Amino acid sequence: MKINNIPAEDVFNTLVTSKDGLAADEAARRLREFGPNEISEKKRPNILLKLAKQFSHFLAMLLWIASALSFLSEYLHPGEGMMRLGIAILGVILINGVFTFVQEYRAEKSFEKLRLMLPFKVKVVREKETLEVNAREVVPGDLIVLTEGDRAPADARIVEAKYLIVNNAPLTGESAPVPLSSKACGGEIFDSSNIVFAGTNVLSGSAKAVVFATGMRTEFGRIAQLTESVEAGLSPLQKEIIKATRVIAAIAISIGISFFVVGQFIGRGFWENFIFAVGVIVALVPEGMLPTVTLALAMGSQRMAKKKALIKNLNSVETLGAVSVICTDKTGTLTMNRMEAVNVWSAGDFSNIEFLKRSDPLVLGAALCNNARYEKGEFKGDPTEIGLLKAVQKSFGNISADRLDEMPFDSERRRMTTINKIDQKHFVFAKGAIEALIPLCSRILTKDGIMPFEDTLKNSVIEANNRMMDKGLRVLAFASKEMASDEISGEDFESGLIFSGLIGLEDPLRPEVGAAIEKCRSGGIKVIMLTGDGSRTARAIAVEAGMVRGNPVVVEGGELDGMGDNELRAKLASDDIIFARMAPKHKIRVVSALKDEGERVAVTGDGVNDAPALKKADIGIAMGITGTEVAKEAADMILLDDNFATIVNAVEEGRAVYENIRKFITYIFSSNIPELAPYLAYVLFNIPLPLTIMQILAVDLGTDMLPALALGAEKPTGTLMRRPPRRPNERLLSAKVLSRAYLFLGPIEAVAAMFGYFYIMVGGGWIWGETLAPDSILYMQATTACLTAIIVTQMANVFACRSSEESLFRPGIFSNRLIFAGVAVEFLLQIFIVYHPWGNAVFATAPITAAAWLALVPFAFLLLAADETRKRFCFCRRKTSC
Amino acid sequence: MPLLKFYNLNMYKRILVAINEHLNSEVSGRYAVQFAKSCSAKLYLCFIADRRLSTSAFNKAEDAVKRLFAEAEKMGVEVEAITKTGEPVAEIATLVKHERISLAFVSTRHEDLRRKLYEGTVARSLMLQLPCSVALVRISHVGKSPPHKILLPLKSKISGAGEKAYFAAMMAQAYDSKLFVFHVSRPIAKFFHGPLHLTPIELENRMPRDIAVFLKLLGDHKIKTEKGFASGHEGRTIALEASIKRHDLIIMGASERGMLRSFIKGSPVETLLRDTPCDLIILRPKHEDQ
Repeated sequence: MKINNIPAEDVFNTLVTSKDGLAADEAARRLREFGPNEISEKKRPNILLKLAKQFSHFLAMLLWIASALSFLSEYLHPGEGMMRLGIAILGVILINGVFTFVQEYRAEKSFEKLRLMLPFKVKVVREKETLEVNAREVVPGDLIVLTEGDRAPADARIVEAKYLIVNNAPLTGESAPVPLSSKACGGEIFDSSNIVFAGTNVLSGSAKAVVFATGMRTEFGRIAQLTESVEAGLSPLQKEIIKATRVIAAIAISIGISFFVVGQFIGRGFWENFIFAVGVIVALVPEGMLPTVTLALAMGSQRMAKKKALIKNLNSVETLGAVSVICTDKTGTLTMNRMEAVNVWSAGDFSNIEFLKRSDPLVLGAALCNNARYEKGEFKGDPTEIGLLKAVQKSFGNISADRLDEMPFDSERRRMTTINKIDQKHFVFAKGAIEALIPLCSRILTKDGIMPFEDTLKNSVIEANNRMMDKGLRVLAFASKEMASDEISGEDFESGLIFSGLIGLEDPLRPEVGAAIEKCRSGGIKVIMLTGDGSRTARAIAVEAGMVRGNPVVVEGGELDGMGDNELRAKLASDDIIFARMAPKHKIRVVSALKDEGERVAVTGDGVNDAPALKKADIGIAMGITGTEVAKEAADMILLDDNFATIVNAVEEGRAVYENIRKFITYIFSSNIPELAPYLAYVLFNIPLPLTIMQILAVDLGTDMLPALALGAEKPTGTLMRRPPRRPNERLLSAKVLSRAYLFLGPIEAVAAMFGYFYIMVGGGWIWGETLAPDSILYMQATTACLTAIIVTQMANVFACRSSEESLFRPGIFSNRLIFAGVAVEFLLQIFIVYHPWGNAVFATAPITAAAWLALVPFAFLLLAADETRKRFCFCRRKTSC
Repeated sequence: MPLLKFYNLNMYKRILVAINEHLNSEVSGRYAVQFAKSCSAKLYLCFIADRRLSTSAFNKAEDAVKRLFAEAEKMGVEVEAITKTGEPVAEIATLVKHERISLAFVSTRHEDLRRKLYEGTVARSLMLQLPCSVALVRISHVGKSPPHKILLPLKSKISGAGEKAYFAAMMAQAYDSKLFVFHVSRPIAKFFHGPLHLTPIELENRMPRDIAVFLKLLGDHKIKTEKGFASGHEGRTIALEASIKRHDLIIMGASERGMLRSFIKGSPVETLLRDTPCDLIILRPKHEDQ
């Protein structure tokens, strides 16, 4: 038998200790044997190592090699400008590394918060003496002494108890006081009424208990271990960026090496080919992509914060958009957490509380067997009890009586009982779950007076209870009896009660929830409710919120405990499923099973023991108002208003962020083709190089950045939540995105770039085959025109990229003013590069005439017109196929 | 069929448990008593007192032997207590040879685990030197005994499968517990695709042949078994599984990784010895598969 199943006297034998406590030498031996009683954290990876990782991944390694080769080239062939290139590549590595680090870094503090919840000193009996020792020195077998206000240092089996009441909220999230005793009880340790757990508080009474688990082996340690060890894994965006960078790197290297080989084959010099190959690679690597992604996520997180969703980890911004399942609590998230007594069943009839008499035992029970209070103009206490008290006060004013004794509510007894003195008479009032109260009642109050509580009457009570629960009400049963004063000291005052009736309380749904659930449904997101309420209430609420249609699968906590993983997964596969009578400990199993099936899961939580599930989920969502510090630290997102609708708004924003990343990736990748084309022309047609590497970097890390960021700030469109979440195998760099950028927009820009180059060269009297010095004005003006053509077409491209399918006029030209700001900055930067001496010096450019600009502008319109035609064609075709 | 028939025979006829002054050796002894009952084996309670042992420690160990002796007798297990003075490893090894012991229970402690590969400890020496099967017991949570849920992590290639299945089945039988067979495979990744996610069904479809054979062996013992599959870091994933599902005991095979590989890549056994959320038994089988 387990430690909770055996009588108190056998506990000493099991743990090889005695009522006198351990001897000092034995305690020391056990301390060596089992280790200190502390929440010990595993070694975390060093922050510098984490930073170093950002500089050693595949793409970074390639860039390091390119940079090193540039410096080598400068050393062997000085004056080719390779030093500047080497430095520029180093700058790219640094910028990308820092931005990725900022995106991924998150300080882990949940462990610290957990550690603070354990006591520093504790009273133990050692060799008959009660000593105060450091909590970390407590060992299995130690006899600890607990009194009011103490916090338990370890998991211990109670062997003596005097009216011990503890608060298990740090562990279970339930703030209701729990009475504990030394009696043996069945079931599992976690649910036992003779075990005191580390981190829980003694509210009243005293006890002696024998420690059986210390440190990380306690329930508290288990939560700490899970919180620390559970990993959600890489976010969908992180995975996509890894894939994308590898694909891009492979393409760039393949093309670079191919052209190097072709160059060698047609007889160009080694270093010439080398510079060419490095140029091709630099042209194809979108150096500005990672910083732009990071900044877009940061902007997304700011927009979410305005909608009351505080994002702690930048990657979560996009992960939200990928969520396919939301596991949500009910009370406070779907509902207002404001209980109202809306229905009463008394003497066989349904009515409202105001129709009862003030002296009705049901009214008295609701008022007196109640710990809520009205102080300084506000109600304080448990929301259910507040609901009862409000209803009574509204109809009957203040009802009070001396309370002589109380047996508080606890989750095992599922009832609360008080003894009150009214007009020199003593009354017992009990309230609780119907199944906890019916066995205690021998009579019932009916229209015809007090009658024996026969089976037919019990059935009518159960039927009334079910009818109320089917309406989504939380139902409390009430019973009472008058007792003689000499009976008060007896332990059996809860027997022989008279059943008074039922009160149904409603926790109204938040008004926004219905629309939010509908949005989830149309957006292909499954919403699963996990609630501590009974299955009938849970089902009724779910139906009212529109979460389920027809007959949902309902799984109760107890059922889940005995359920295998395969069975759980089979249940989770059904469209409509509700988890009722759930404890927070169940959450992580549900989340793990969903994740095993490849779902991307968001889960809400507020208690300490929600922390592992919050960590395990792709998106852990902590409640900002009711959440504990530990839950907030473990979460990826904090709901500032505890409202379910805010989650759905954040999901919509997350989807918009992903769409926006695709938009600016199309934009950024489009410019790779006009950056590559000059190199192809250089090697194939033996012309002076039309675009230098520094000019490529001017586009990738300069002019492209702000318009790309402006695309990252596009608002969600109405269609985003009308399509299913993107499939896990859907690529960020999809064939559609790549083909649009590389085969459609890019070639138009490439034609413009080459036109600009030849416009200046031919206009300046250049003859085919003539070589020009790198510092000749004509050559520099020609490369400047090539660069300007790219910039001008990119200024148009940013408008084209606002949507891949819809006309640029549809979202409204001025609906994203940042686009204009981005284009303005892009233009000013280009003016600086073309006309300012510093810009000329750094990028080897020379001023060009207004005529040259005017010659390039039609290409911008050509790009827009071509893309509009493409969109119209695709749209019409899709409409026809629909 | 001959293979299965062989393992239905009583593999462990004489079981030894090494007792010392520490609580965990006594708790390990309780496992041994139950196990011996389940196998109908004779149990040897063996306390070898090092010459440097203090009197109080000596007395504690002797008391533990007495308590276990009484418990074994009460349960109807044939039991013999042996108390000697000398070097524990050598004395136990001699005893194992002399009494033709088939399985020895040895306990390890928190302080042993501070050493890499718990090198230089009595537990490791016994594990390596005893000429019989060894069950190394790490007592982590006294409150979880007797175990109702036993986690049985398995590798892709199982050596001594027959004995391991027999051991697990007898342990489950001893406590009427349920066995949860669990296989952790390495995550699959492709260069351009990155890590691949496989669902438990897909992982089960890729179940290694040895595990299928092992499940069949367990099936022959008529033990309630459930299976689970996951991918990830072996040691950490097993510890998490035990923690999330609240298992009471983990039984796994001894590490077959060499010193160098264990030093560089770590060993799941060592990770679990350090981080196990419940009691852990590491079995080094000596019986050859047939």
